[in-house]
Amino acid sequence: MKYRKSFIATSVAMALGVGSVLATGASLAGEFDGVTLKVGTWGGSWKENIVNVIVPKFEAEGGTIEFVTGSPQANLAKLIAGRGKAPFDIMEILDAQIQDFRSAEFLQPLSLDAIPNKAHLEDWQVSDDTIGSWFTQETICYNKDKFAELGIEPPKTYSDLANPKLEGRLSIPDITSGGGLANFGAFAHAGGGDEANIQPGLDLVKSMNALKFWSRGGEVVTQFQSGDVYAAVVHAGWCVRAKNAGSNVTTVHPYINDQHTGVHKHGWLGIMKSSENAAAANWFINEYLDAGFQFEFATKSGVVPVNKEAIGRLSEDPVLDEMLQTSSEEISQQLRIDYSKADIADWTDQWNRSVAQ
Amino acid sequence: MMEMRSEMAVIQPRARSGPLPKRGLPWGRWFHWLYCSLSYIFLLSPMIVVIGASLHGGEYYTAIKFPPEDPSFQWYFKIPAAQFHALGLSFLLGGAATLGACLVGIPAALGIVRSNLPLKTLISALFRAPLQIPAIVTGIAFLQLYFLVGDATGLYAQGTFLGLYLGHFFVATPYVIGTVTAILQRFDNRLEEAALSLGASRWRTFRRVTLPVIMPGVYAGALYSFMVSFGDVPISIFLTAPGFTTYPVELFYGLENDFDPSILASASLVIFFCLIVLLGMQKLVGLEALLRSGSR
Repeated sequence: MKYRKSFIATSVAMALGVGSVLATGASLAGEFDGVTLKVGTWGGSWKENIVNVIVPKFEAEGGTIEFVTGSPQANLAKLIAGRGKAPFDIMEILDAQIQDFRSAEFLQPLSLDAIPNKAHLEDWQVSDDTIGSWFTQETICYNKDKFAELGIEPPKTYSDLANPKLEGRLSIPDITSGGGLANFGAFAHAGGGDEANIQPGLDLVKSMNALKFWSRGGEVVTQFQSGDVYAAVVHAGWCVRAKNAGSNVTTVHPYINDQHTGVHKHGWLGIMKSSENAAAANWFINEYLDAGFQFEFATKSGVVPVNKEAIGRLSEDPVLDEMLQTSSEEISQQLRIDYSKADIADWTDQWNRSVAQ
Repeated sequence: MMEMRSEMAVIQPRARSGPLPKRGLPWGRWFHWLYCSLSYIFLLSPMIVVIGASLHGGEYYTAIKFPPEDPSFQWYFKIPAAQFHALGLSFLLGGAATLGACLVGIPAALGIVRSNLPLKTLISALFRAPLQIPAIVTGIAFLQLYFLVGDATGLYAQGTFLGLYLGHFFVATPYVIGTVTAILQRFDNRLEEAALSLGASRWRTFRRVTLPVIMPGVYAGALYSFMVSFGDVPISIFLTAPGFTTYPVELFYGLENDFDPSILASASLVIFFCLIVLLGMQKLVGLEALLRSGSR
């Protein structure tokens, strides 16, 4: 009898023990156990910044993140080739591509309730299928020493770059580069045209006598460093890098007609229609928009956060404060290209015929 | 008789007096030396810049820093593991594509040169077509093909080693066909006829007579195939996937935002590796002999 009681007590204790272990295990189970989220984004340091911050958090929830590295253009080509069957769940999209994504119905609606950090964004940066993730401030970056040496006033408009003293000392983005479309749109506006009338922009570019058309922002840093160029049309992040590399440069947000100062290019995130990991993708977006990540990512990648809290922190850094516009008023003054009015194929064709000869 | 005399007069060597005339212009030797030196500098300077910049000892830098400041090997210790993984994949892929190209290219070349097929010219052109198609188009075409096949069969090859391999095999094969065809067109068929008449089987004749003669073409084609596969970006860019990224694509994406010095360090290691392999081959067998005779 004694043994029987002991056996029952032991069995109950073991059952409770196993039960508690299972219960503990269940409570430790992450939200995304066994989920592999595939993210289409740029490689190199861009990806590493995400790897260092967001990936450990996702792994703590039991999931893993894989990266399909490539430019948004290359990833869009993969999507088109796969007729919407994406090799990734979520991808970085440029503002010039959003129309293509929507017309091809490549995106699925976001679960905005699962993205509380959207509250820190401007209203126009949040839509049903895409959400703003970063932006660049496209500026004129110039060498202060060289301008003083040549007796040239700091530029205020793109037209100021047509100064004969700058002939062969100017670098502007090729239309195929990351900032090419945004800046060309800005040239068109500055010249008196718009997205549908680009001829004034072409005339403005031709009047500038540029040394070369850069295709990667890193080229501009090298050109400033070697003294090949005295001014460049480039986003502020590259100017910051040129300054950190030892060039005495600063930025100007050029006046573009009477309404705008500077132009920006926007990055967006969207979840692919073919994705079966929508919950994890929405979680990823929310983490991407977190103020802490946005600040760290922006300062390391040279872009501007969309999270207003993170933007406010940029002014803590004297170099960023000098190079970027950080107040809501200033940012709202920057030109946003309306790509729904633009025929990008025609832009590229006209550019190749008129400028890139 | 008169004509004969005049011919004899023509063929008689002229009497030579004094020292032999100098060949070429007096500054020709120096010009030759300068021209060769500049050519070598031009060809080697990119490698020198890459290796030199990889020794940059300062902080992370967004552009190539050459000559390096405060030289150190610090970036060699910061090469991401993903690059080594990608490098391994590229070697494996290049080797497999080369092997496949040889296995298909040699019989194809034999068929093109020796058969009497009615559409031989067309077949020959088809085998060489991959060289005429822009590589980026090839990449997109393969990706679309994989989706089409996948939709029909449920077997999707995109993002797999097989998918990558087929793309590389496609572009690598014409190089072997081209080089082997060139040698076969100058091949003396009497060598094979002699072997056959002495009782050798067709296979033995191929193995002991034909293959050794065409080996220089096989080696050259294999070398080109490997180089094309190893350095390919436009095709791989569409066919890679997480875990299956080739070395050039990994570097390409790594350089999109910054000049990460660890990429330069990694590239320098590959340069040194290739140099060691080439020097080793030169020392052991002799590259010229290998390509010329093909019999070692």
